[in-house]
Amino acid sequence: MIGRIAAIALNTFREAVRIRVLYGILVLAVGANLLSLVVRELAASADEARIARDIGLAGISLFGSLTAIFLGVFLLYTEVSRRTVHAIVSKPIERWEFVVGKYAGMALVLSVLVGVFAAAMTGTLAWQGVPVSEVIAKAVVLAWVEVLVVAAIAIFFSSFSTPFLSGIFALGVWAIGRVTPDLERAAQAASPSIRWTAKAAALLVPDLHLYAVSGRTVDGAHVSVNADFVSWSYVGLASLSGLGWIAGLLALAAVLFHRRDFT
Amino acid sequence: MADGATDQAPGGEPPAIEVVGLCKTYRTPLRRRRVEALRGVTFTVERGHIFGFVGPNGAGKTTTIRTLMGLIRPTSGRAALLGEPVPSRAARARVGFLPEAPYFYDYLTVGELLDLAGRLFGLPAAARRRRADELIERVGLSRARSQSLKKFSKGMLQRAGLAQALMNDPELVVLDEPMSGLDPIGRKEVRDLILELRDRGKTVFFSTHILSDVEAITDRVAIIARGQLQAHGTPSELVRRAVLGIDVAVRLPAGADAGPLTAGATQVRRRGDELALTLPADADADAWIARAHAAGAKVISVAPRHETLEELFLRAVDARGAEGADESAGGPSPGAAGAPAASASGASSASSTESAPEAAT
Repeated sequence: MIGRIAAIALNTFREAVRIRVLYGILVLAVGANLLSLVVRELAASADEARIARDIGLAGISLFGSLTAIFLGVFLLYTEVSRRTVHAIVSKPIERWEFVVGKYAGMALVLSVLVGVFAAAMTGTLAWQGVPVSEVIAKAVVLAWVEVLVVAAIAIFFSSFSTPFLSGIFALGVWAIGRVTPDLERAAQAASPSIRWTAKAAALLVPDLHLYAVSGRTVDGAHVSVNADFVSWSYVGLASLSGLGWIAGLLALAAVLFHRRDFT
Repeated sequence: MADGATDQAPGGEPPAIEVVGLCKTYRTPLRRRRVEALRGVTFTVERGHIFGFVGPNGAGKTTTIRTLMGLIRPTSGRAALLGEPVPSRAARARVGFLPEAPYFYDYLTVGELLDLAGRLFGLPAAARRRRADELIERVGLSRARSQSLKKFSKGMLQRAGLAQALMNDPELVVLDEPMSGLDPIGRKEVRDLILELRDRGKTVFFSTHILSDVEAITDRVAIIARGQLQAHGTPSELVRRAVLGIDVAVRLPAGADAGPLTAGATQVRRRGDELALTLPADADADAWIARAHAAGAKVISVAPRHETLEELFLRAVDARGAEGADESAGGPSPGAAGAPAASASGASSASSTESAPEAAT
């Protein structure tokens, strides 16, 4: 089982690294870090470090998530549309193993990308003289988990839909997931039906706000990346929550993929 | 078993392929119209045979094969490969499959493709390398080993597809249109490979529209049209044994009038001083030859004309066009319906197939 999943994952990695769009995204992410150099000049000196870190981390989260959606909606779909899946699922492999293998390959690519983004960010921070501390590592881990959850969301939609619709759905879930607490808070004053809808959305959509600690506002105070607030136990719990979502979404994707006819 | 479309061996070993009452109904995406791709297909393929699965476009060949390989779920009916139910991993582990017009990851080399296939079959690394080397050599792709599949021609892709289908040294090989895209030399090589597999005790099930290939190498043939089996048997059993006519060819003396010799002929073809014609099956050939000699003609050949597989194929497909006319013949499976020659007894004389019409896909 592990060997088959690894074979699919390795092949997916090979496939993904040949997608030129990824290199464009890589350039954009590095560019965002360079942008922090410009923004720094415009900001008050006390905020320099926070701005540099926030732009870098937001870049990892944004570009990582967009890449996850892009890979998630295309890599599984193209297997079916190009019929490459015919020669694979006719081998002694279970379809769920194929879905997990595709996801694992994507996760590998995304992990490398997050690593490169993080390296670019720390490089830029170091060049600006901003101290690179443990809190940055925690934030990067959280952004990495968020990217992996978003990839699972995309692959779930891709298991039954076209890339266009899957992309729309995944972007929608990502956007809602990013503002889940705000939605719930805003719905407090609304009618019961809206309140109920917001509650349902909060249950059905992963709370991606958990992973976006940079620039977060808590009780009116801007916490940014704060060692006190973001403890390693917080990172661990948030990661466990992310793993739960990944497992659930992949299980659903596997069920849907299992029921498909490959014509 | 619902009809006579069986290829049962007396031994206790389960057959290589067993398909019983297979039905598949699709719904069109927008109008949700029902399309019956398979309507009660039943047949059995015994081990060690080469089995040709023939039918026009849209007949249900590929749907049947994809159902066997677990790519499509049947609406009803069941199938088993080597005694293992379909779909199951156990069945697929012992089967090699070449999809129709195969698409592979075009960024891989043939060696990498075979390595991937070997990993999925659970072969250890050394066995994968050894087997890949053997197969690349066997299908004639040694010189293209370092090229990515993107640069492969259609024929080369087909060879790569055959190689990946054989990575697990399968007991049963299922090939969907294996000769498609190959030139005559490539087709012959694939035919030779199929025969070699049979000689090694493997069962080969392949679909094709090239009837000359079917006649040349198959032990058994099934013809499918509109989702129903039309005929099933050995090629010689299937074609009509009765003489359909007498083909004669003569060389006429210069300036001779062919008119007196063509009287009563069903077909007349003339090229230069050569006259070829087909006489009715009950014509007095001796009398005609005597007339030809009297006219100064030299007889080149006289041969009885039997039905070819191509004619049987066209007849089977046409018969299905008259929908419902044949339904009385079978039991619950429509596979028996209209099997026009399946019950023909004995073997006909070897029939020649002059052409391999692409139209009969």
